[in-house]
Amino acid sequence: MDSNQTTTTTSSSSDLSHRKRKKKSPPSPPPPSLQKWRSEKQQQIYSTKLVQALRELRISQTPSSPSNPRNGRAVREVADRALAVAARGKTLWSRAILSKAVKLKFRKHKRQRITAPSALTHPVIATGSIRSKKQRGATVMRIKAKGLPAVQRKVKVLSRLVPGCRKQTLPVVLEETTDYIAAMEMQIRAMTALLSAVTSPTEHEEEGQTHVLG
Amino acid sequence: MSGRRSRPRQSSGTTRISEDQINDLVIKLQQLLPELGDSHRSDKVSAARVLQDTCNYIRNLHREVDDISERLSELLANSDTAQAALIRSLLTQ
Repeated sequence: MDSNQTTTTTSSSSDLSHRKRKKKSPPSPPPPSLQKWRSEKQQQIYSTKLVQALRELRISQTPSSPSNPRNGRAVREVADRALAVAARGKTLWSRAILSKAVKLKFRKHKRQRITAPSALTHPVIATGSIRSKKQRGATVMRIKAKGLPAVQRKVKVLSRLVPGCRKQTLPVVLEETTDYIAAMEMQIRAMTALLSAVTSPTEHEEEGQTHVLG
Repeated sequence: MSGRRSRPRQSSGTTRISEDQINDLVIKLQQLLPELGDSHRSDKVSAARVLQDTCNYIRNLHREVDDISERLSELLANSDTAQAALIRSLLTQ
């Protein structure tokens, strides 16, 4: 299972090296993974998943406090989970989101091996402590070699923002960030369209949905 | 068994990532950002700047998603027509 994950996660990095081998120049057209998030079809797929998940979500119908902060969070989690599913498990952040959602045996989702049973209660944040020490040493040395501590600090902050990247190396964090940003942009576009479809169902030309509320 | 060690076939050497690789990633990131992405001023914009803007942008995106989630949740809680509209929009996709 560990080697499985290694292979899976290597693919995204080996993609990068594969691209490097092909052309030395920085790729100006967005790589296919980013174009995927910008395509109409992907947004429709996501919207569909989102609507299905939202329908199953039971918002507490207390008329006294309709704007329950918990509900907003619940919707956000549903949306994030749908987004992670749309990523088809190819990225760290999507797997991290899904692991968070499961909260059970998530060891198989990530690369690290967690042996301590207490780790089961910390889905994303805990990494195998033994391994992380080695990683941390290697990571810090690598980034110091890049020089600027400013860059290092910012990458660390960035890694905290992107789910599942807290203890990753710099290139991994950057790679995950690009995919994460593109995915979130699509998420916002889809949710906005959904919102306008729900609020004013008679006028909607957003995604070509033509439903007329009689 | 350290996955970290066995992985780096693709990056030359065990713990050496080339500057170029990082630079390329930063450039790719820069192109995604709304302000800096349009012009190819990769020389003048420092990596730190790009990273800082990226952090801010991600925080913005998070906030936007939270906002939209809030509004959606209010709508869903309040009206049944919202649910019906959701279902309808699902069917027409």
